[in-house]
Amino acid sequence: MVKFTAEELRRIMDLKHNIRNMSVIAHVDHGKSTLTDSLVAAAGIIAQEVAGDVRMTDTRADEAERGITIKSTGISLYYEMTAESLKSFKGERVGNEYLINLIDSPGHVDFSSEVTAALRITDGALVVVDCVEGVCVQTETVLRQALGERIRPVLTVNKMDRCFLELQVEGEEAYQTFQRVIENANVIMATYEDPLLGDVQVYPEKGTVAFSAGLHGWAFTLTNFAKMYASKFGVDESKMMERLWGENFFDPATKKWTSKNTGTPTCKRGFVQFCYEPIKQIIKACINDQKDKLWPMLSKLGVVMKNDEKELVGKALMKRVMQTWLPASTALLEMMIFHLPSPSKAQRYRVENLYEGPLDDQYANAIRNCDPDGPLMLYVSKMIPASDKGRFFAFGRVFAGKVSTGLKVRIMGPNYVPGQKKDLYVKSVQRTVIWMGKKQESVEDVPCGNTVALVGLDQFITKNATLTNEKEVDAHPIRAMKFSVSPVVRVAVSCKVASDLPKLVEGLKRLAKSDPMVVCTIEESGEHIVAGAGELHLEICLKDLQEDFMGGAEISVSDPVVSFRETVLEKSSRTVMSKSPNKHNRLYMEARPLEDGLAEAIDDGRIGPRDDPKVRSKILSEEFGWDKDLAKKIWCFGPETTGPNMVVDMCKGVQYLNEIKDSVVAGFQWASKEGALAEENMRGICFEVCDVVLHADAIHRGGGQVIPTARRVIYASQLTAKPRLLEPVYLVEIQAPEQALGGIYGVLNQKRGHVFEEMQRPGTPLYNIKAYLPVVESFGFSGTLRAATSGQAFPQCVFDHWDMMSSDPLDPTTQAAALVADIRKRKGLKIQMTPLSDFEDKL
Amino acid sequence: MDLESKYEISRTADFIRSNNFVRVALQFPDELLKVSTLVAKALKSELGRGVRLFVMADTAYGSCCVDEVSASHVDAECLIHYGHACMSPTTTLPAFFVFGKASIDVTDCVQSLHHCLSTSHKPILVLFGLEYAHALQNIKSVSAAALPFDGSSPMIQYAKVASSIIYPSGDSNGRNGCDGNGRNGCDGNGRNGCDGNGRNGCDSDGLNWHDIVVQSHGDNHKIPKSDGNSNLRTDTKYGLGGLKWCIPVDYKINEYLFFWIGSEDSAFSNFVLTFNNCEIVRYDAEERQLREDFSHQKKTLMRRYYLVEKAKDANIVGILVGTLAVAGYRKTINQMKELIEVSGKKSYILVMGRPNSAKLANFPECDIFVYVSCAQTALLDSKEFLAPVITPFEAVLAFSRGKEWTGEYMLEFRDLIVSSPVGVSHMDEARFSFIKGGYVEDVQFHESGCKQNEDSLALAEPAMKALSLSSQPSDYILFKGSARSGADFFAARSFQGLKMQYENPSVSSYIVGRSGRAAGYKDEKMQENCSA
Repeated sequence: MVKFTAEELRRIMDLKHNIRNMSVIAHVDHGKSTLTDSLVAAAGIIAQEVAGDVRMTDTRADEAERGITIKSTGISLYYEMTAESLKSFKGERVGNEYLINLIDSPGHVDFSSEVTAALRITDGALVVVDCVEGVCVQTETVLRQALGERIRPVLTVNKMDRCFLELQVEGEEAYQTFQRVIENANVIMATYEDPLLGDVQVYPEKGTVAFSAGLHGWAFTLTNFAKMYASKFGVDESKMMERLWGENFFDPATKKWTSKNTGTPTCKRGFVQFCYEPIKQIIKACINDQKDKLWPMLSKLGVVMKNDEKELVGKALMKRVMQTWLPASTALLEMMIFHLPSPSKAQRYRVENLYEGPLDDQYANAIRNCDPDGPLMLYVSKMIPASDKGRFFAFGRVFAGKVSTGLKVRIMGPNYVPGQKKDLYVKSVQRTVIWMGKKQESVEDVPCGNTVALVGLDQFITKNATLTNEKEVDAHPIRAMKFSVSPVVRVAVSCKVASDLPKLVEGLKRLAKSDPMVVCTIEESGEHIVAGAGELHLEICLKDLQEDFMGGAEISVSDPVVSFRETVLEKSSRTVMSKSPNKHNRLYMEARPLEDGLAEAIDDGRIGPRDDPKVRSKILSEEFGWDKDLAKKIWCFGPETTGPNMVVDMCKGVQYLNEIKDSVVAGFQWASKEGALAEENMRGICFEVCDVVLHADAIHRGGGQVIPTARRVIYASQLTAKPRLLEPVYLVEIQAPEQALGGIYGVLNQKRGHVFEEMQRPGTPLYNIKAYLPVVESFGFSGTLRAATSGQAFPQCVFDHWDMMSSDPLDPTTQAAALVADIRKRKGLKIQMTPLSDFEDKL
Repeated sequence: MDLESKYEISRTADFIRSNNFVRVALQFPDELLKVSTLVAKALKSELGRGVRLFVMADTAYGSCCVDEVSASHVDAECLIHYGHACMSPTTTLPAFFVFGKASIDVTDCVQSLHHCLSTSHKPILVLFGLEYAHALQNIKSVSAAALPFDGSSPMIQYAKVASSIIYPSGDSNGRNGCDGNGRNGCDGNGRNGCDGNGRNGCDSDGLNWHDIVVQSHGDNHKIPKSDGNSNLRTDTKYGLGGLKWCIPVDYKINEYLFFWIGSEDSAFSNFVLTFNNCEIVRYDAEERQLREDFSHQKKTLMRRYYLVEKAKDANIVGILVGTLAVAGYRKTINQMKELIEVSGKKSYILVMGRPNSAKLANFPECDIFVYVSCAQTALLDSKEFLAPVITPFEAVLAFSRGKEWTGEYMLEFRDLIVSSPVGVSHMDEARFSFIKGGYVEDVQFHESGCKQNEDSLALAEPAMKALSLSSQPSDYILFKGSARSGADFFAARSFQGLKMQYENPSVSSYIVGRSGRAAGYKDEKMQENCSA
């Protein structure tokens, strides 16, 4: 490890061309953290005084226990390149020192919000892929996220040791596997064509793919080998690199390179001949303890072992030898320095993604040029609990300007609208802090291009925010992060001792702050609800809540609760009518389901209340077959004015109709939030106002008369249109060997899941299974699955869609009706649904 | 039971005679209207000539409250209230309460009581609905006889009816008017008069029990008996809804098992909510059963908690006037107004009688309503309401930053006046909203510049501002509660009436119009004259 003082570290931070901010992303269990560890061990920066007694990997106890990463952790690495190796580096640089801010992120899908937060503040990503398992679901998800943020990726094919030790595959077969892994990754990356970012695909021959064994701490890129062989063959390095990959074969007998396998037994692919085989031989020699063979080979490679290391045997020897020969840190750090962009380079094209305001104002320019003298633009992407309970560091990245201790900053929250005072604070930064390993060191200021932690702002930042100088009143905020998962699993928490309620409230506030994905709300019944992305996520959150944020006060947690949606199957069987309380006004309505895909389009924001009516009617008429005129008569969306239900005016020539529009909409917002079945949100229903009879006196058709009536008639039309419940459904991806398939199918069937894709991974004994699983049934799913497959199957669940439950909730014998009764009971409502006759009136 | 004893005709007549009242209002709830004439007739014959009786019905607010406004329409000097009462103190009129006498099987009740005593290890405190007050002596003696040891055992204690006469406390003399010491002088005589009928036990000191209502279950709020005349032992006194009781100071209120005799009415729910951390059983005299499950009452409390959280997010608050009689109501309304203003929200005072969904929906701009009324009508919660209705106590919790819900609960707003010097401390921190699941910020009204006056311009100015700016999409203002004032809301409405302003009004000189009556204007008369 590199011993540093804060001043020295601070000095490098000014060299914006010599900084690399990058995150490590991968599928769960592909070895991110292990690989990171081997980097940290070699190049991690720690404070001088604590050198020796710090263990970087030692973070949360539960992380170690479960063997998964839960929170993303940032570590700074220092690497000094040799002048020689930098010769071929074309980019800008100042000196040979490099600072690499690396963020290790969790791989489990439940924590992908952490990945999102990490990606925002980095410019490059090291994508780790298990060479045997290949590109998995989560690899794909995070890769897409990274590319969406314009993060340039490099790839490492990890767990190489498995090839040599566990599977003992031959060179050519191994090559094919690696080739497939890289191709799969490239397939995803190729879909993101971006002229500014350039070609983001990775190529081993260009040095953007590394091969690593995180567990054993070694790695290489083709550059390493190319350097070694270039002089031998008398060609330059880049030429050599090309030969070491792809369809290039070498026959040692003829000493000729060909582009096809000549068929002679000695003719082998360049990669196999010059990279795979040598490693294989060395490993073999180590494992078989053939030291007489080993030492000459090593001396040929120029690897010098210490005397005490020579005494090692077996795996320990192999590890030591490989680490000395091909140290992971050198290969990976060089790859990052060469191929990942510096902040100043990356911000040039990322500014479009980042900045919400006009791209030619001074703030955009400052970000674009990574200008340390420009106005401050800082994005806080997450809040990190500090050691003193209840306080948080605001962790983020300086995109422009400098942030310094004592600086007065404008805090623009996620709801800030330029020109308004909403969600806006001006406060001063108490301290600016950088991480020196586990230790935080205060520094005077932090310039752009770096990550920073701020003290003293936690009371004003919920989860993320944009900071700028106090004076910069016309700065726009940096775009909010978009998360790929949503909090669908909810539990009710309550304290065992009633007097602990203030503690619970305080704890929930802190929990909401500490995790970007968790949502703490309160139900109509007064229960506190914690919602998370999945079971595991919730489990961790609740543990944090109780132990860290509530000081160990006891809480009780309900069974997980899933929220449903209410929809309709058909058009209302008749036009229903409701009368106002004074009987002088009558509203006639019908309900019908929205066209397939329309609710999703509203969810995605393709259609919404702020659309240009012309554009909206174009989409509606072309994609959903609406009448053009009708599309202009949409009164509103709901609930919350943006939800996937709408009211459409179908009346003709009704007097005073415009007067009651607001009242009808108010009634609709209310009703669509609490449907008639179980007071769940409505989804995918279109309410058509068919006719309206109003009293001639304005005073008799006011809000008091119309709002409750609109609500009643909406309920009546919902109930006459074959109401149905929608339940949330997970997309489950499972990777497992063939013998585990039986168990997986068994569990899925038992849990109402159904498999829609089963595919063998080429070149592996593994199967990839995709299935839909109702969220309600998912609780305890991974446990059951593990038990049924003796631990071989590991599911990843992501919310996918809403699925209609076929049974009729109005028929008391059905499953849907039982479900409705359950929900109503939980919410403290009358178990019996309000009958249609209470909502509908007769003439 | 005959009319005379059920409606305590002679006692009522004594009360009227002793005070020399000549105009007396009789207030009946709807279900007792059928006997109103009989009672009036009986009273009349008892009192003889010289006293005028007026029967009143159909009160504007709850029938449990004294309807002073109707009574003053007939210039009544006092009011006799029949049926279920909340025993809230009155503002101007003395009131005499006749609770009626509901039938009860005393032996069965005592059996249940003893059953409780044997199963629970806690001392028992017996409370009752006021309509069962008449049977209390009976229950006491039967219970004492059945128990092996003497009746004054500390294991069973009985609450008493505080008084069946209430003298006005006045609303004008501010906070002091509601304080215990401020009232002692004025009603000492009246109190003693009613205590003569044998219901009194340890309260001969003449302290006004109405005011010693529980403020908190914490020790610091205990009110020791300061008079110290007959009783050297210090007791903690409690009173609620016309009942009073005292427990030894070395006991805590939640160490008692409460035994309530009566039906599950508003008096009972008031009681359950106030003493929500105590163990309570209810003896239903009509069904002769013991009920122990009050989970839905607990649910009510949870629901109230939710409403408090919801109120915190409100921008516009409607203060509903739910009483025109209960002492201190104007004080409370003003206090609410102040509180709401200081917390940066906008308030409007609305008088609409008993609220229903249609009346409330006439004010869609209000995000929440605060209902100032007597304790037993205070809890209004209906799925039909567009915006929730909360009590003043809840409003104090919601609108003063830094106040936490602790489980303590109060329904009577008078207690609020005494207990909380309303102050809003502005914390610098953003507020966490559990409704929205995130931090939100409260906009400070006075921060935004001019303090608004109560004149007509105050409405016009923000309206003009809202009209000219309209930076927020209107549906946010209309349906998501982001309006800051009624004017904001109005400006965002899609329909604002026919022609708000005349388009391009051009300057023109005034002309003299016609004058006179429509039957014949002056100029028309002139014409007539001319033609004639």
